[in-house]
Amino acid sequence: MSTTKVSRVLLVFVAFALIAAACGDSEPVDAEGFKFGMILVGPQNDHGWSQAHYEAGQYVAELTGAEMIVQDKVNPSDLPEKTVDQVAADLIALGAELVFATSDDMKDGILLAAEQNPDVPMIWSSGDSAWEDGKAFAGLDNLGNVMGKMEFGKMIAGCAAGLTTQTGSIGYVGPLTNDETQRLVNSAYLGAKYCWETYREETTPLDFAVTWIGFWFNIPGFTLDPTQVSNEFLDSGADVLISGIDTTEALVEAGKRASEGEAVWSVPYDFEGACAEAPDICLGTPYFNWGPAYLEIVNSVVNGDFKAEWQWNGPDWDNLTDNTKTALGWVSGDGLSADASADLDDFIAGLGSGDINLFTGPLNYQDGSVYLADGEEATDFQIWYTEQLLEGITGESASGG
Amino acid sequence: MGFELREIHKHFGAVRANDGVNLSVASGELHGLLGENGAGKSTLMKVLSGFHQKTSGEILVEGEPVELRTPADAMQHGIGMLHQDPLVFLPFTVLDNFIIGSPGPERVNRREAARELATLAERFGFNFDPDTPTRRLTVGERQQLEILRLLWLGARVLILDEPTTGISAPQRIKLFATLRELAADGMSVVFVSHKLEEVEELCERVTIIRAGAVVGERDLPCPAAELVELMFGGEVEVGERPIVGLGPPRLVVSGLGVQDRLASVEDFDLEVAEGEVIGLAGLEGSGQRIVLDALSGLRRAQTGTIQAGGRDLTKTGYRGYLAAGVQFLPAGRLEEGLVAGLTLTEHFVLAARSDSFRIDWDSAREEAGRDIVDHFIKGTPESTAESLSGGNQQRLLLAMLQDNLSVLLMEHPTRGLDIESAAWVWEQLLLRREDGTAIVFASADLDELLEYSDRILVFFNGSVLAEVNARTSSVDELGHLIGGKVSR
Amino acid sequence: MNFADLWKRSRTGVFAVAMALVVGILLLLVAGANPFEALGVIIDGSLGSTARFGDTLMVWAPLVLAAAGLLITFAAGLWNIGVEGQIVFGAIAASLVAREVSGPTWLIVTLALLAGFAGGGFWAFLAGLLRTYGKVNEIFGGLGLFFVAQALAVYLVLGPWKRPGVASTSGTEPFPRESWLPTLGSTRLSWVAVLVAVIAVLVVFYLLRGTRFGLRLKAVGKNMRSAFLLGIPTGRYMLAAFALGGGLAGLAGAVQATGFHHKLVPSISGGYGFLAILVAMLAGYAARWIAPIAFVFAMLAVGSTLLPLKLGLDSSVGGVLQGVLVLFTILAQGWQARRQNRSDGVAAGPPEPPIVPGEVG
Repeated sequence: MSTTKVSRVLLVFVAFALIAAACGDSEPVDAEGFKFGMILVGPQNDHGWSQAHYEAGQYVAELTGAEMIVQDKVNPSDLPEKTVDQVAADLIALGAELVFATSDDMKDGILLAAEQNPDVPMIWSSGDSAWEDGKAFAGLDNLGNVMGKMEFGKMIAGCAAGLTTQTGSIGYVGPLTNDETQRLVNSAYLGAKYCWETYREETTPLDFAVTWIGFWFNIPGFTLDPTQVSNEFLDSGADVLISGIDTTEALVEAGKRASEGEAVWSVPYDFEGACAEAPDICLGTPYFNWGPAYLEIVNSVVNGDFKAEWQWNGPDWDNLTDNTKTALGWVSGDGLSADASADLDDFIAGLGSGDINLFTGPLNYQDGSVYLADGEEATDFQIWYTEQLLEGITGESASGG
Repeated sequence: MGFELREIHKHFGAVRANDGVNLSVASGELHGLLGENGAGKSTLMKVLSGFHQKTSGEILVEGEPVELRTPADAMQHGIGMLHQDPLVFLPFTVLDNFIIGSPGPERVNRREAARELATLAERFGFNFDPDTPTRRLTVGERQQLEILRLLWLGARVLILDEPTTGISAPQRIKLFATLRELAADGMSVVFVSHKLEEVEELCERVTIIRAGAVVGERDLPCPAAELVELMFGGEVEVGERPIVGLGPPRLVVSGLGVQDRLASVEDFDLEVAEGEVIGLAGLEGSGQRIVLDALSGLRRAQTGTIQAGGRDLTKTGYRGYLAAGVQFLPAGRLEEGLVAGLTLTEHFVLAARSDSFRIDWDSAREEAGRDIVDHFIKGTPESTAESLSGGNQQRLLLAMLQDNLSVLLMEHPTRGLDIESAAWVWEQLLLRREDGTAIVFASADLDELLEYSDRILVFFNGSVLAEVNARTSSVDELGHLIGGKVSR
Repeated sequence: MNFADLWKRSRTGVFAVAMALVVGILLLLVAGANPFEALGVIIDGSLGSTARFGDTLMVWAPLVLAAAGLLITFAAGLWNIGVEGQIVFGAIAASLVAREVSGPTWLIVTLALLAGFAGGGFWAFLAGLLRTYGKVNEIFGGLGLFFVAQALAVYLVLGPWKRPGVASTSGTEPFPRESWLPTLGSTRLSWVAVLVAVIAVLVVFYLLRGTRFGLRLKAVGKNMRSAFLLGIPTGRYMLAAFALGGGLAGLAGAVQATGFHHKLVPSISGGYGFLAILVAMLAGYAARWIAPIAFVFAMLAVGSTLLPLKLGLDSSVGGVLQGVLVLFTILAQGWQARRQNRSDGVAAGPPEPPIVPGEVG
């Protein structure tokens, strides 16, 4: 982790340099004495989703002098005594003037909390309750949403997999099924298919399968075991595993197979340093970077101009690892060959310039219904509310079957 | 190796099982400990062998005072006890059982142990295959194994508690020979028995215990009448009893076949008249218990029919028998009858066949108080069952019986009771018989069988070997029948 | 009862609590916290405001319900380890009502609670059938059924009862507000949950102390053979104990679903069944101690969630403190049994497992 620490220190310097240049609207305010609460679904050091939020909070605290109060492991198994609204109440009682609820699963609790504490600004990350044109607009003035456009990260991940696979078979270890996760699986599939067909000029159809474990991470007894899921993929001929869950089982299992001489690779998820568990076979990792958005929100609350908005932030195409700017990042791993790396850069550039738009028809859903007609480009609404997996993917859709 | 017990007291709650016992046994002595059932012999020996801790008193081994907290302590001081039921693990092999009690954490050398077992067995003329499961051994052979084990562990004092109960005559002769040989080597042997003849046959000296205290010590031989008087506090007269007119049959059993893992009884017939008392004699496990189980509905009869009070109960379960006035009091009072942890009041409430949902505890306590007085139970309504002495537990069980029983089945009705309690129990039973209750009881006490039965059925190996008229039979005749000999 | 008697009876408990306090303080010191500060946080976090007191009672209610149910099965000498499964199944049954029935709140809530009772009772009854007819020890049967209930809950949450477009183990769609247990004012405290728990304790107290049913159950529990010989249909009584005890556990599940989560989540039991076993043991299987001991547990559980926020301690500290308390109580019971054995003169052996309730009521 020391490299990330160093990079984080560097980032702070960069950030200050940027402040000096008075650039951007996320100029940190002096928020000494300001407290914000952070509700995490998993442990704050999970090397995944929860840690990314935790570090974003730290980043904001370092830049502004605000204090972060963290309650981690907020889920019914780890914390049966409290629901999300109770935890939010605890944080507010401890002086939090802003509360981040950082999981899709916290929907019911944070809506209740926002309703009960109308004066406290809150953020439900990955949600859509503040999207006026969305399906679930709640109309709460104090509850905003933040999400990163991870579909780009997943397209890149899928492309890396498509450029690397020898067997033409890719396994996706999925969490639970909902609009977001289906959107991400579809993105990975589209990326993999594009690169398989375009750069490698393969004509055989790509085999792309997803298995959902049932939650964001392994809860023995409640979910499928991701270790077992990974091995089943590898046993059935998949040679690249893409992870969609918060933890790194897919990478770890692929690493074990690789050390036994098998030619397998993996793309982890969620956390900048995720490749560290098996660097040699890691093709790279897409990750969320919540820092810039959270900084902006803290600024707005301190300045008194907080607005409950739905944010869906895209990457900084100029530099996918500039953590002061980008909402999602991609770091390539050592497992990516030089050729593939060049193709991937080309792909990324295409995405950035808009030359490549994978959400363009004709695309069908799994049940054969039309998702995008020929030539049709998807709207945000169509992308956000992904109802099914795409035709060509093996696996279960939430509303399918 | 000699030992001495001084003023040993052993109390269980209010019960004084040993009340100031003095006993001294010299090295090489064959010493008998004689007393009726429940006199306190076994308790005293369990104190000496570390199974019980004495309440007060002193134990000296070779003149040195010792504290014996556990059987292992006692073994360290060379004291080993052979229990009535030899403490062997039936599924284990002979050699495993031989090794099992050896002290110390170090690994046992099986080969060496097997060699020593063979040497010891040869010396006493025993014959063991070390790899046989002990369940295939007879009780006598298990005893032999246990004796060898105790010797191997270094026993210099050997206590035998009623060792002849379950063994054949030849095995007994062999046992006695072995004990004599051991005594000749300087072993102190304590032979605990309530059988006068055996003590006379084996021992050089005898201590007689009655009601927890030593009532005499004699060198043998000594006139038998003197010993009997010491044991019972007066010579027993057998054969005098009121003759009750027998009425119509209450219990009719025909062609009964019943079995469990150990015993099986086939083709058992019995007719018991109103007011008649039937004694069941025989070695433990000869079939008496399973017959009683079948007669009370606890065990399903495989063949035959059982009728009580004119009703065919063959197909009924235990509760059907109960409803028909057939009740069974097994020997294990706290195991099969009373509920340890519940008070006397609670027992009376349970026994009362009332269906009211609520319990009026005040009146229940009052009623219990009356029952306690009526049945001379030493206890209060709040006493728990297990705090009572054996005699009082039996009184409680009798007090809990239904009135107007049709058939009363009992197993060892006076085992472990003092004379007074035993007499009271029979007084109660005879009262019931006058009411017309038919009584069937199993007992190991030949005097009791002879004194209270009208007829005695002697069981041997699962069948009735003989039926004798209690008025004309004798301890001698019964003893031989129980051992399986039909004629002398 | 004079003071000496009182002391004699309660010294085990006093000793256990004192030892647990000492060890708890040491543990907190090792964890780098000021023990008194930590204790203050726990007390403040569980009692410090009306809302927090309400939170504590909402943990207390299911805990008391499950523990009261366990007293019945313990009285019958049964180790109803399957209580967790009965909570889950009760919650599933209550959820069915809460999702499917529409009408006024009083009707839905009454039906949901009844369904919870019936569901938990049914699930325990199955364990009872396995025990009485299948000769399957209730510990194994109960655990097996727990896993089945758990799997059923997961299946429902991911399958038939999943949120539209979502299949996540985080739970079903929240029930309509009419199906929520009514609360006091704006707090999360449901007076219905508390009332049901109080009634359950009173009923169990009366059943075990004042009725023939309770006495027979105790006889079955302490000596099944003797009870049978006394004419008690032991099988039927065991089944009744399972059904009643499981029913109360099922009520706990119904309260969890309709009063706390307001939806079905796979881990709906919150581990309160296992915790209730400890509560019952700690209470010496006496109904009158269930409520206060469960309250201490609820305080520890709710109050210690603030330890990480205020003192930077791990939230598992609360669980560790609970464990220490239970450990020392069981140790103290063991010591007492051993001392009693010695004074009775029996060579010291291992203490009897505390299966048989001492004095119930």
